[in-house]
Amino acid sequence: MSNVTVEQILEAIENTSLVSDVMALDSDKPLRDQGIDSLDFSSVLFNIEEEFGIEIPDADIDGLQTINQIVTYVNSKP
Amino acid sequence: MIAITNIGCYIPEKKISNFDLLDKFETDENFITNKIGVVQRARKEPEEKASDLCIKAFANLQSKVTIDLLEIDCCVVVTQNPDFNIPHTSAIVHGALELTERCASFDISLGCSGYVYSLSIVTAFMQANGMKKGLLFTADPYSDIIDENDKNTALIFGDAATVSLLDAEQSGLVPLGFDFGSKGAGHKNLMNEDKLFMNGRAVFNFTAATVPISINKLLDKLDLTKEDIERWYLHQGSKYIVDTISKRLGLESERVVFDMYEYGNTVSSSIPLLLSKDIEKLQIGQKIGLSGFGVGLSWASTVLQKN
Repeated sequence: MSNVTVEQILEAIENTSLVSDVMALDSDKPLRDQGIDSLDFSSVLFNIEEEFGIEIPDADIDGLQTINQIVTYVNSKP
Repeated sequence: MIAITNIGCYIPEKKISNFDLLDKFETDENFITNKIGVVQRARKEPEEKASDLCIKAFANLQSKVTIDLLEIDCCVVVTQNPDFNIPHTSAIVHGALELTERCASFDISLGCSGYVYSLSIVTAFMQANGMKKGLLFTADPYSDIIDENDKNTALIFGDAATVSLLDAEQSGLVPLGFDFGSKGAGHKNLMNEDKLFMNGRAVFNFTAATVPISINKLLDKLDLTKEDIERWYLHQGSKYIVDTISKRLGLESERVVFDMYEYGNTVSSSIPLLLSKDIEKLQIGQKIGLSGFGVGLSWASTVLQKN
């Protein structure tokens, strides 16, 4: 997969209805430091898996702390 | 038509507060209350077994309705934490209640989907064999298998038991249809070898993806819409999962019952515990939706109508 943008990931996060203003999220800061707890993070990953038709193994999660890391990861998926 | 006419419950008086574990698990009251939805967990005495909980639930049922034990045609226990591997727990309950020798007894090994699955199994069994009255117990005391140091499970599960009185001749809640399924390939995500293990993310993904589809499929099959359903009784896995399913189905929150704050996730007992509070309030013709999901991984959904 390629050309997935920060905006698309923000939209996937917005679709969880967990964050009141996704535009206020800092793409370089860990989501967990921006009010997204472990359960919300599961929801975010689930929405990304659904919307981009990918599977995110548990082993990859440690490297997916920020929005920019998620964008790079999704784009690296075939 | 076999109907659920009444439900007896037993929730142990002893409770373990999750607020006492905030430091241990590095969490806070908001997360415990609004995400997990379990403030305290009901805890049986260590020597109590599933059959003991069933018998206490039956005593509660007897306080609500007169039961002639000679009339009971079948006695079924849903559990995956039986008293022993041999014999089946329903035989122990049968003996303790002094049910007749013509009363059929068997266990059903299912977890959180167990109540809904068993409603189909037991009502079909009763109909096929001309039975008039049956007892459907749920009792899965997870406190025996929980690792108290595992944050994924230690804050969630509580002990309880229920018994539903099924009757072919009385009015009550009648199943209109069911939807079932299994994803056996995922069974290791919720499993007890030495202690209970749960991959929370995998179970969350399974539930969020599967349960809304099951419910929509069932409504289509019954030619019903969500608006036809008065209230929803989803397995109380956690507040987060109930909220997630509700959101994905577009259910009005006031129609979705949630109440596990004071006793926890009681596995196959969670749905009948909720139903027991509402069964007498429902009006003739009203329909309610049930869905159980979890261990297996498996799921079962049904719509019941008050007749």
